[in-house]
Amino acid sequence: MSLKYSILVLISLGCMGFYTIELKLFDYPEYFPVPEYNFDENPLEEAKVELGRALFYDPILSKDNTISCASCHSPYNAFAHTDHDLSHGINDEIGTRNAPALFNLAWQKSFMWDGAINHLDVQALAPISHPAEMGESIANVVNKLQNSALYRKMFFEAYGDSLATGEYTLKALSQFQLTLVSSNSKYDKVKVGKDSFTVQEQAGYTLFIKNCNSCHTEPLFSNYSFANNGLSIDTTLNDYGKWGISKQSKDSLLFKIPSLRNLSYTYPYMHDGRFKKLNEVLKHYTTGISHSKTIAKELKRPIILSSNDKVDLIAFLLTLNDKDFVFDPKNKFPRDILMSSEGFKK
Amino acid sequence: MTKTQVHTNLMKSLATSIGLCLALLYNTLDLTAQQQISFVPKLYNQPIIVGHKYFLEQQKDSVQIDKLQFYIANIYFYLDATEVHEVAQKHFLIDIENTSSLELNCNLEEGINYNKIKFDLGIDSTTNVSGAMGGDLDPTNGMYWTWQSGYINFKLEGSSPLCPARKNEFQFHIGGYQAPYNPLQTIELALTKGNLSIDVNIEQLLDQVDLTQTYKIMSPNAEAVATSQLFLQLFQQSK
Repeated sequence: MSLKYSILVLISLGCMGFYTIELKLFDYPEYFPVPEYNFDENPLEEAKVELGRALFYDPILSKDNTISCASCHSPYNAFAHTDHDLSHGINDEIGTRNAPALFNLAWQKSFMWDGAINHLDVQALAPISHPAEMGESIANVVNKLQNSALYRKMFFEAYGDSLATGEYTLKALSQFQLTLVSSNSKYDKVKVGKDSFTVQEQAGYTLFIKNCNSCHTEPLFSNYSFANNGLSIDTTLNDYGKWGISKQSKDSLLFKIPSLRNLSYTYPYMHDGRFKKLNEVLKHYTTGISHSKTIAKELKRPIILSSNDKVDLIAFLLTLNDKDFVFDPKNKFPRDILMSSEGFKK
Repeated sequence: MTKTQVHTNLMKSLATSIGLCLALLYNTLDLTAQQQISFVPKLYNQPIIVGHKYFLEQQKDSVQIDKLQFYIANIYFYLDATEVHEVAQKHFLIDIENTSSLELNCNLEEGINYNKIKFDLGIDSTTNVSGAMGGDLDPTNGMYWTWQSGYINFKLEGSSPLCPARKNEFQFHIGGYQAPYNPLQTIELALTKGNLSIDVNIEQLLDQVDLTQTYKIMSPNAEAVATSQLFLQLFQQSK
């Protein structure tokens, strides 16, 4: 075997390696729509994604260095917070809404249950500053990061400047979160012909298309718009959703439509986490709708599902669980970084 | 050519070069003086000192300014109704406590007596929906809302016994970008020869709002938009 041949092999391997890295950072199947996020403004790079991952898991973002993004957005819950109906912040403060799951964020036009945030880059400002979440200011976060040997190194590697800025901190957080793509559920495998639905799942899929798909639109399983889904007002919270931001009556009781992907990992359900089981959710949509002026047009007439239909529908919904995503090691706590001697600097 | 002649020629060209350099340097210095515009926050023609007490002539009580920050954006200079110069830097954060921020580098050409300036007070909607930005637009500057996306265009904080609030404090955070509550204002000012200093007359705001009623505006709403109308009278070429 000649030297030439070895070099050729090495080059090809190198190219493949490069190609794999490209795929790893952000990739999605053909049948997904074009992302909303403008990657030209914040091109993904490995060092920036790594920085974002460290920031996501580091309680340095909170005022008393106790709460990280991952405290309420755990990777094993598809980045939601299982068992907690309302989010849980510093000093055991309890918020007013359920921490939503984080995945496929590149396809979302607005953020938060009420759509208060217009861009992924600026989303982190809300939990960082909220007194019942992290209770910190972005200016002080940046100050702490500038004083951390770990982050001086990581910002230098990512941005060529060891000093953190608000812009870079937020953009790095976006970078990591953009890589959280869930597209490997059984549904996805069926979609590309690598698996097939059982008879029951197929029946559930048919019911889903008829009754659910106009809001929880496949393949993302949300159209990411806002709707009043007929939940009665919880008088301990008096949350009117999007109205609280726009103050326009047409927005009263409108909340962001969540994706149904990974739903076994993301209970409890709804903006206030009022339902613990999928059965309760189906019961709500079939017999529990509270009618008010802004109710979604799809819910004006009752959805009728027999008990067999419900079983079939749930069988289909379970095919939306993406175990590969939930247990993907690249999304996990970066132990090597944050548990190093420089990590968790107080 | 003798050796001495060569030497003299060399000295001559050296002197010319030095002269040229000095002239260039002088020109550059001179240009710097012309390149910028400056903002001077005032109350009744007095430059505002943060923490100092002033008497409000209309409402007959004292007032103290603790914070004044605002965005000046999209600056254009005109010559006889024709736009002749667009300032390269799009957004400037003016902060009364940061004196260097009161001088805006506009890269103006020397020797042109512009007779009109136009600028936005605040941040346009496109910039507001474009994600995290740096420099004067970095959210660490305290001019970006966190609970709802949007820049604060104008922030004025202080106190007056007129305000029935805790510590008699008032807070005007005028911002946002979404219709119907977009408080962005475009200001046009006539300029007379050679004077590029602009007063920011805060009494045009404080005399026009009733501080016993209006002392806390911190969201994009109708009150914020109404208050932003007063910004049109805020600016005046210094005398």
